[in-house]
Amino acid sequence: MFEELNRGFQLPTLKTFRNMSPLKRREMRDGLLFISPWLFGFLVFTLLPIIASLIFSFMDLKITDGILSTPDFVGLKNYQQMLNDPQIWTGGESGTAGSLWITIKFGLISLPVGIFVPLILALLMNSPNLKGSMFFRSAFYMPYIIPFVAAVFLWGGMLNPETGWINRALMAMGVPRAMVPNWANDVNWVYPTYVIMGIWGVGNAMLIMLAGLQGVPTSLYDAAKVDGANAWQSFRNVTFPMISPVIFYNLVLSVVFLFQYFLVPLVVNNGTGRPGGATMFYNLYLYKTFFTFQNMSYGSALAWLLFVLILIVTVFMFGTARYWVYYAGEGRA
Amino acid sequence: MRKSRFLILVLALALGLLLVACGGGTTTTTEEPAAVEQPSTAEEAAPAEEAAPAEETAPTEEAAPAEEAAPTEETAAPAEEAMGDKVQIRWFVGLGTGTDPQQVATQEEVVADFNASQDAIELVLEIVPYDSARDTLATQIASGNGPDIIGPVGWGGSNAFYGQWLDIGPYIESTGFDTSVFDPALVDSYQTEEGQVGLPFAVFPSAVYYVPAYFDEVGLAYPPAQYGEMYELDGEMVEWNWDTFTEVARRLTIDANGANAVEDGFDPTQIVQVGYSPQWQTHVNYVGSYVAGAAKIVEGDAPGNYSVNMPDSWKEAVNWLYDGMWGDQPFTATGPLSGAPEFGNGNLFNSGKAAMAITPLWYTCCLGEFRDAGLEFQAGAMPVGADGQVHGRVDADTFRIWKGTQHPEEAFTVLSYLITTGGDKLLPQYGALPAIAEKQDAFFEVKSQDYPFVTPETWEVFKAGLAYPDAPSAEQFQPNWNEAWAREQTFFDLIQNTPPSDLDFDAEWQKMIDDVNAIYNKD
Repeated sequence: MFEELNRGFQLPTLKTFRNMSPLKRREMRDGLLFISPWLFGFLVFTLLPIIASLIFSFMDLKITDGILSTPDFVGLKNYQQMLNDPQIWTGGESGTAGSLWITIKFGLISLPVGIFVPLILALLMNSPNLKGSMFFRSAFYMPYIIPFVAAVFLWGGMLNPETGWINRALMAMGVPRAMVPNWANDVNWVYPTYVIMGIWGVGNAMLIMLAGLQGVPTSLYDAAKVDGANAWQSFRNVTFPMISPVIFYNLVLSVVFLFQYFLVPLVVNNGTGRPGGATMFYNLYLYKTFFTFQNMSYGSALAWLLFVLILIVTVFMFGTARYWVYYAGEGRA
Repeated sequence: MRKSRFLILVLALALGLLLVACGGGTTTTTEEPAAVEQPSTAEEAAPAEEAAPAEETAPTEEAAPAEEAAPTEETAAPAEEAMGDKVQIRWFVGLGTGTDPQQVATQEEVVADFNASQDAIELVLEIVPYDSARDTLATQIASGNGPDIIGPVGWGGSNAFYGQWLDIGPYIESTGFDTSVFDPALVDSYQTEEGQVGLPFAVFPSAVYYVPAYFDEVGLAYPPAQYGEMYELDGEMVEWNWDTFTEVARRLTIDANGANAVEDGFDPTQIVQVGYSPQWQTHVNYVGSYVAGAAKIVEGDAPGNYSVNMPDSWKEAVNWLYDGMWGDQPFTATGPLSGAPEFGNGNLFNSGKAAMAITPLWYTCCLGEFRDAGLEFQAGAMPVGADGQVHGRVDADTFRIWKGTQHPEEAFTVLSYLITTGGDKLLPQYGALPAIAEKQDAFFEVKSQDYPFVTPETWEVFKAGLAYPDAPSAEQFQPNWNEAWAREQTFFDLIQNTPPSDLDFDAEWQKMIDDVNAIYNKD
């Protein structure tokens, strides 16, 4: 999946451009012409705001100051403030955990589930012994097409500690009221609650995994069988290496998604960080700083910290990929 | 040659796309702005202090809870100049009431009326859903494309944009606008360090809304219809104070077996009706102001020496409500309960699951479902506080002019129209009592058509409530208002959703105070 990225990408130099044949040059020029609208959009609507946010992070600018205002240059003040911001590191308002640790902690809980549940489902879907696999594939994928916010509201209703049918069912089964979970309102239950909500949407990852599984040549399994491999050995030595690029792809996307985790705590817990500040995820704090507190400069600095963190983690993952991601046809990278 | 033509065509297409992309939202049309309906539910329409799709909480003062929901979005393309020589003035609605579909229709009517009377100004309406209004306005202002007129907006919404309002004093003077139609005290209340930032338009006194049928069912007397009246409880005449109110609310909190909160065998896990709903007045400052009385909570005059000065009585008031949610004899809903669909997703009184609610008059905008369900309400006097005084709240909404407007004179012309002539149509739809005293009776006549069962005595209760304002307002200025308000809201959200077994009230209160102190003194 990331083969090309791993292999490295080279921009044409002036020298290589000169050495191109006239036909190649024309093709390149035409190609650039075709992608120019997208390039323009990227420059104006993505790159420019990115650069602007970097500049803002060195300013003292409120969102209501307006673009025509002349904000003060404050150097690294916002970054210094960030280093001393208890909300990021130690929990600030709640005094429990900082937004960054909350995000990482939730990631550590959620990531294995987000990777292995779709993998296991895909393995089941790929099993020749499964009858009605088309139905199951559709059934597992179907929740993914439901708008995420609507799904979150649905889950919020089902898991309402007072009136949700899950707690009602638990109590009907004899679980005492004091023992039923408070779900999103309980520090100990809130992350499992979010994970459960997340499982609802694993259909897409499952489908990608399934496509990877179906791309594994059956001859490899036949060879493994001839060599006397059992099911586990077959999975470990054939299936896993062959679908490792797909797992890697899902892993990278999941990590980036988790660093940007935002919508669920905003909807389910009102974006207030409750219970006990446990849901003040980093990206939520960033959003509140930017829009609710209207501090554009500090919000920009927070965004850059997030960018740097994601970059470091992603680069690290690409670094480890050579040890466990297998691209057919080129051996281990 | 063919290839060159093809390339020219591609280039032209690319340029066309660029032009479209750069076109932005400017327009020179003078037609009515296209209305883009945003489907929404009543619950979502509930005003929320922070931009949060709040299930259960959702409150702000001025924000009129739209019951049939409808954060309708009507986005008028921003335009600097209108076609011909008309100046376009953009009117931004969303920071408070005004997003309910019926309200939108009336506002459109007012815009049409104004435009028909004008050959120099064209008024354009922009409706933004409440939940995203603050972000939208902040972004518009940040991009230098702020609207000319903003409102209706209360103190909270205004303080969220402190420093953005135009001093209209010079325009009042130059146009000779007659301010004598208002109570001078109301006019003065809009005099801030920024100047005269508004004129009185709508006032929303508070009262105890109640459902007479629920009182009849349990044989309780109705709340007094006049301030100073005693209340009959168990055959004795007692003062209508918060203790009495609490007792009544407990007896009106009913479980699935029909037991009330003071009876043996009452099951707090099976509540089907609560005695009292704060009805979006769920913020430390609201509860403190209602129960213990208004207080100036900010001390100091500059970053570095600001401090929070919340009276202990506010803490006690909030603790009283906390006990009402989670105590052995509850009388109000916890966060999960009030956020449940069966309880109206936060719009509890409208769901018919609350016997009483205390909230300002703007709530009458949005009781259609309640009425259509065959329920009836009346209003009673606010209880007497522990200090022997009645502490009410009076929300006040008005229109403000953004100080970055390119057309301040024209914007003031529109503002003058909206708070006088336009107000005749707008105020009843907003559920707002006119600040112009002579228009108040007409307002209640219109209200009586909406709620024919409401007695004249009830409307008098609201009028009488004007004598009990929260001064300073519960939404008074605090340094770094947005952050401070959000922190206080976070505390309230915490107690709504955390039982005492998991929460140290005193410690959390102190934590809030410490955090707000730090917020006040940020640069």
